Amino acid sequence: MTEPAVTGTGTGTRAAPKLVLDNVVKDFSTRRRKTVRAIDGIDIEVGDGEIVCLVGASGCGKSTLLNIVAGLEQPTSGRVTIDGETIVGPGPDRGMVFQSYSLYPWRTVSENVAFGLECIGMPRKDRAERVQELLGIIGLARFADNHPKELSGGMRQRVAIARALAPEPDILLLDEPFGALDAQTRRAMQEFLLLVWQRTRATILFVTHDIEEAILLATRIYVLSSHPGRIVEEITVPFGANRGPSVLRDPRFLDLRDEIQELLTTQVER
Amino acid sequence: MTDTSLQPVPGSGPRTRSGTGASNLGDDPAAPWRRTAKSGSRGRKQGVLFRLRDEIPLRHRILLAVIGVASIFVFWLLAATLWSSGNVLVPTPLAAWKAFIDYWQSGELSTDLWASLVRVAEGYALSMAVGIVLGVAIGSFRSVEAFWESPIGFLRYIPATALTPLFLLWLGIDETPKIALIIAGTVFYNILMIADVTRAVPRELITASYTLGASRLRVLTRVILPHSLPGIIDVGRINLAAAWLMLVVAELLAAQNGLGYRLVQLQRFHQVDGMFAILLIFAVIGICSDLALRGLRTLVAPWARP
Repeated sequence: MTEPAVTGTGTGTRAAPKLVLDNVVKDFSTRRRKTVRAIDGIDIEVGDGEIVCLVGASGCGKSTLLNIVAGLEQPTSGRVTIDGETIVGPGPDRGMVFQSYSLYPWRTVSENVAFGLECIGMPRKDRAERVQELLGIIGLARFADNHPKELSGGMRQRVAIARALAPEPDILLLDEPFGALDAQTRRAMQEFLLLVWQRTRATILFVTHDIEEAILLATRIYVLSSHPGRIVEEITVPFGANRGPSVLRDPRFLDLRDEIQELLTTQVER
Repeated sequence: MTDTSLQPVPGSGPRTRSGTGASNLGDDPAAPWRRTAKSGSRGRKQGVLFRLRDEIPLRHRILLAVIGVASIFVFWLLAATLWSSGNVLVPTPLAAWKAFIDYWQSGELSTDLWASLVRVAEGYALSMAVGIVLGVAIGSFRSVEAFWESPIGFLRYIPATALTPLFLLWLGIDETPKIALIIAGTVFYNILMIADVTRAVPRELITASYTLGASRLRVLTRVILPHSLPGIIDVGRINLAAAWLMLVVAELLAAQNGLGYRLVQLQRFHQVDGMFAILLIFAVIGICSDLALRGLRTLVAPWARP
């Protein structure tokens, strides 16, 4: 995360690429010794302070792609770099939030957020300060000493986001983080994420199948095809960094939504 | 609970479609098997006691538990009056209680109880230690699993009681063979069940920890172990019964003290009341250790309370 003092205006102009995926391919071998290509020739760039969204139907390998960036899986070929350095394994510089609740049930909210800080060996006092700050950002300071099972689904995901942000990652990876939430909570969480992004200016790579979510949040969208996952379109979203939920009524929002819907539908029919 | 909301309004709905109005027994001439039990209601009403996997009222639960315990004593009394002499001699509960008091006051109870408790504690502690180390390793690393799976799968089908003569031959008749037998009879169950507990740690929890910068050692000690802890205590609780089984086998064959040894002594003099007292002591020890381990579980892992 960088300080709020941002270089450039952030609207439309692309900052220097932070994350680069260069011709990434991933094959899986099935039981009958066949190989299935999950993703094929993916080129993606994510600039500093951008929210980039990967949109696609199920089976487009978008989660695989995110796992590769996280270092949890290795690409069959191609290169993934952050600030020019090749990714070989997972690390705290790439915080990840999963769809399912991956909080530690035996730790309180603040202890959950502190986990990554313990890993990087931050002293206890600094840790407490940083946790306090993050709980303020996610609006859960009152729940610092509660356990995850005492929280609602949306609150748990907010804790998961704070936990991933705690070690100040270069990039935040979100794998359908709101997919398991009900519609109202999901909308609230989208606005929450937008707010977090505007306050922290974290670089975010986001995977979703929800088109409206992608347009609402992303500065740029990559639309992926299925079987294998290929990029069929790269779309720059015309709304600035200071957008709010009002863009949902913007005519450009509706046009964009239809355009992406069209792209995905032809993919399904193909 | 939802029954009332599903009540049809009388005289309305599709059931009066035949026009006769009066007949709502579901006598559809085209489908005579479509009968409903009662007029004016739909669906099958379920009794309160036998709903599949459903809760029953607390009063019923307590009542059933009391009846359950009482029926043991009724059965016992019945057997005691039926077989009060001859070869199959059954003492009354009172006689067993008196034998227990004598056993206690003679001071032999505390010696025997202590001897048996120490043996189980030593043997089972070692068994659990091995079980935790190997079980967690097998559940965490596929390589360790591949190495140990076949040997354990092979060895665990040797009945542990069949090892008794061999252990007595090798290790003499002092404490060592008894402890060895307790280990042999429980360690494989402990290993395999703890491995299962460890495998149940959600994958997302492990991958999330990696992306937070945790090393594998940290994931093992700070994620896999705490998540497995309540399950490990459960395994310990369940397999403790097998430890007592092995103890008694060992004490029956070769011992100078202990509850199992006392059982054989009493048998020699046909003191059935004393034997019954010892059986009840085993049961009480079992219930106490079970409750203690359940308490320990809620104490160390309150988050995992069901």
